[in-house]
Amino acid sequence: MEKKLILPGDEVADTPKRMDGCFIDGGKTYAAVVSMGQDEKVVPLKGKYLPIAGDYVVGVVSEERFSGFNVEINSPYEGQLSARDVRDPLRVDDVVFVKIAFVDEVNGATLADPRRLTGGEMLEIEPTKVPRVIGRNMSMVTMIRDHSATDIFVGKNGRIYLKGNNTSLAVEAILKICRESHTSGLTDRIKQFLENGGNSQ
Amino acid sequence: MSSNSPDKPQLIKNGKRLSGRSFTDLRPLKITAGVLKQADGSAMIEWGKNRIIAAVYGPHEVFPKFLTNNKKALVSARYVMAPFSSLEDHGRSGPNRRSIEISKVAKHVFENAILTSRFPKTIIDIHMDVVQSDGGTRIAAITAASVALADAGIPMKDLVAGVAVGKVDGELVVDLDKTEDNYGESDAAVVISPRTGDILLFQMEGLLTPEEVKRTVRLAKDAAVQVREVQVAALKKRYEQVASELGEQIA
Repeated sequence: MEKKLILPGDEVADTPKRMDGCFIDGGKTYAAVVSMGQDEKVVPLKGKYLPIAGDYVVGVVSEERFSGFNVEINSPYEGQLSARDVRDPLRVDDVVFVKIAFVDEVNGATLADPRRLTGGEMLEIEPTKVPRVIGRNMSMVTMIRDHSATDIFVGKNGRIYLKGNNTSLAVEAILKICRESHTSGLTDRIKQFLENGGNSQ
Repeated sequence: MSSNSPDKPQLIKNGKRLSGRSFTDLRPLKITAGVLKQADGSAMIEWGKNRIIAAVYGPHEVFPKFLTNNKKALVSARYVMAPFSSLEDHGRSGPNRRSIEISKVAKHVFENAILTSRFPKTIIDIHMDVVQSDGGTRIAAITAASVALADAGIPMKDLVAGVAVGKVDGELVVDLDKTEDNYGESDAAVVISPRTGDILLFQMEGLLTPEEVKRTVRLAKDAAVQVREVQVAALKKRYEQVASELGEQIA
């Protein structure tokens, strides 16, 4: 079926369904955000990252406290990292790749398993486009990693950490994915783009 | 200036308004989404001679912290007219008594449109800046802000659409311009949720009979559907640009 742009207030299903970026009113399901719809699937195109337990995110240490650290995770909500979970000492402004262990009822995130990232660069993209950058079974990110010889840490919060000698090709490929994320046949186009060393033709 | 003013021009001639429109015609309306790079969402509306820029920031942490609501996001709305926005004197820039009132009613509109319970402990900032005004700026600002909110990816129950309906030379007309607003008998700013038909704002000045109020609401609801079409077109244009460059088909 054809892809369709869905806007807030558009009917998505005539039965109540729990879906991302949707709400239920009067027994029907409506879209709440600008989304792309295909068949019964709805994919939001924009939105802030909300922490979900089990996600890996790239965060920046924003504050050091007696009992641990506050980590800014590109979300309206901050993450808390307990000093007990930190082996090597962290400092404010350190970049960490960290797991969200628990999320409370007001979206406060408890973090665990931090890994300090150094010597690379950080890229911020729209959090809703992260699944496209990762690809099915990590196909897209593996392809970029192989072609550009770059270590890539993709955080679900829309932050990507790149480390390697040729990060510019990886950055260009990721930005291209973001620009064209709502179109089909993207994997093939990105493959061609990488094989041509960053040229679309 | 009022409907009794000696300077009052004849507002309706041969069944047409001064601008040549029929009673239910809207002024030319165009909305552009995503005009500001730094904002999370933005839109510019060109409605007749009105030019308004709306920007949305957030949801983000609340300052000062004691205002935080643990159950829902707060909404802050700020409507201001630029000092150069019309021929009348608007003094120095920044809020005045009129703009504080409009900011307050706009805030209540969006509190009822945004799904605030999805973002507890946060605040959503909506800025509406009138750059050029020609009557009906509050509903134009709310219409633009609604597109800016959708552009920011903030979950909403509907794209809300506003329109002014007023009584001019004894006739009910839709979308008043400045002259009609100043010399007309009555003027009502109405904001509608086109999906449900709910009225989110109804501010009236002047006098209308109960029957005229009912007709006003009916006219506003019909016009809101037209306004929503323009809002939809603006958002489609923003998100379809890339697809069309690549020759993809999006319905």
